[in-house]
Amino acid sequence: MSLPTSLRKSVTPPELEFIASQQLVEIVPLISMERTAFISGAYGPLRPPQKTKIPLWMAVNLKLKKKCHIVAPPWLNVDYLQERLAKETAEKEFSELPFRFAEISKVLLDVASDDLENPDKLRSLLKDLREARQAKSREGLNHLDASELSLPNLCQMEINEIRPFFIQSMAILGQFVRQADNQMQDE
Amino acid sequence: MNSDYFSIEAILAENQKVQCAFKQDLPNLGHLGGGSERHIKASNKLQIPIWLAYTIIFSDWADFMIPAAFNPRVKNALRAEAKSVRLSNLVGSGGSWYGFGKLIMDSLDGEQAEELSQMLESTFRHRLIETIDQAQHFGVIGTSGVGGSAGDTSQIFREGLDTTERELFALAQESARKVKKWYETSDKSRR
Repeated sequence: MSLPTSLRKSVTPPELEFIASQQLVEIVPLISMERTAFISGAYGPLRPPQKTKIPLWMAVNLKLKKKCHIVAPPWLNVDYLQERLAKETAEKEFSELPFRFAEISKVLLDVASDDLENPDKLRSLLKDLREARQAKSREGLNHLDASELSLPNLCQMEINEIRPFFIQSMAILGQFVRQADNQMQDE
Repeated sequence: MNSDYFSIEAILAENQKVQCAFKQDLPNLGHLGGGSERHIKASNKLQIPIWLAYTIIFSDWADFMIPAAFNPRVKNALRAEAKSVRLSNLVGSGGSWYGFGKLIMDSLDGEQAEELSQMLESTFRHRLIETIDQAQHFGVIGTSGVGGSAGDTSQIFREGLDTTERELFALAQESARKVKKWYETSDKSRR
């Protein structure tokens, strides 16, 4: 294979961020633009101050040129995340969050923190959430067996982080299972 | 860990030696045991690498003994506290205790194999969390923080990891490092 070893095991976080950038976000444009066709579809027209939905990558691009304000997605606010965090710490299961919340929240906090309310609080909440969830996926290692593992509501970034060694561990555990037809290779 | 033909780990695991007790005289095969004897005599006990032992055992020339790395003493130690056993010491440097165990398990049958299978599995499970915890810890703090006194229990544990676990350690460390790096990079400077 021509891929370097580090890329064969799983997707890298920047690649996930790229994928997440295809998702639509709402913006308030500050410039007007006709409806424009891109490979992924046609977006626009932009008519300030009317809200429109465009892909995240385009929103980030416009935002960095100060040509729009990004409207925070409904889950990216202090109240909602606080409620999730409370749930996360109280319950054994992973709480429900958007599948790509880690990527999207990072990008938004990075480039559009002035459009969000209380970005510092958001950051610390997201960090707490991440840590609480990490503790749970660590707990999941306890229940690892050779055949299956179910961790519902795990989000993309977390899956990606644990994928390489979870898979490897499961493969190893699979080797220890004795099967009737698994006697000697020569037989 | 797997038995793939091209797997270096599998080759290394097969290089481990097991004690074989020969049941019959084998003329002119003394070199198998690496000794200076010209012939192998019945009741001779020799250390034979496991890739060779297969043939000898299947031809019913010899019986093999369960190696010291899997004897009852090790088993009891593992049952008491799997994390404090230094697996790497049991199989020599670069050895794979799990790989070796798997090979032994495959050549046994019945209850013995079942027992070994359970021992391998429970040992692996008990050590897994500690392995991953430490790997993530080192993935996050980077290489600069590695050190600590030699008497440190976590360091002793790391030194006792066998190759299979070392691989896992490296995987977990790498992925923790990547994610951390991603969280820390800012987009603003890139564009």
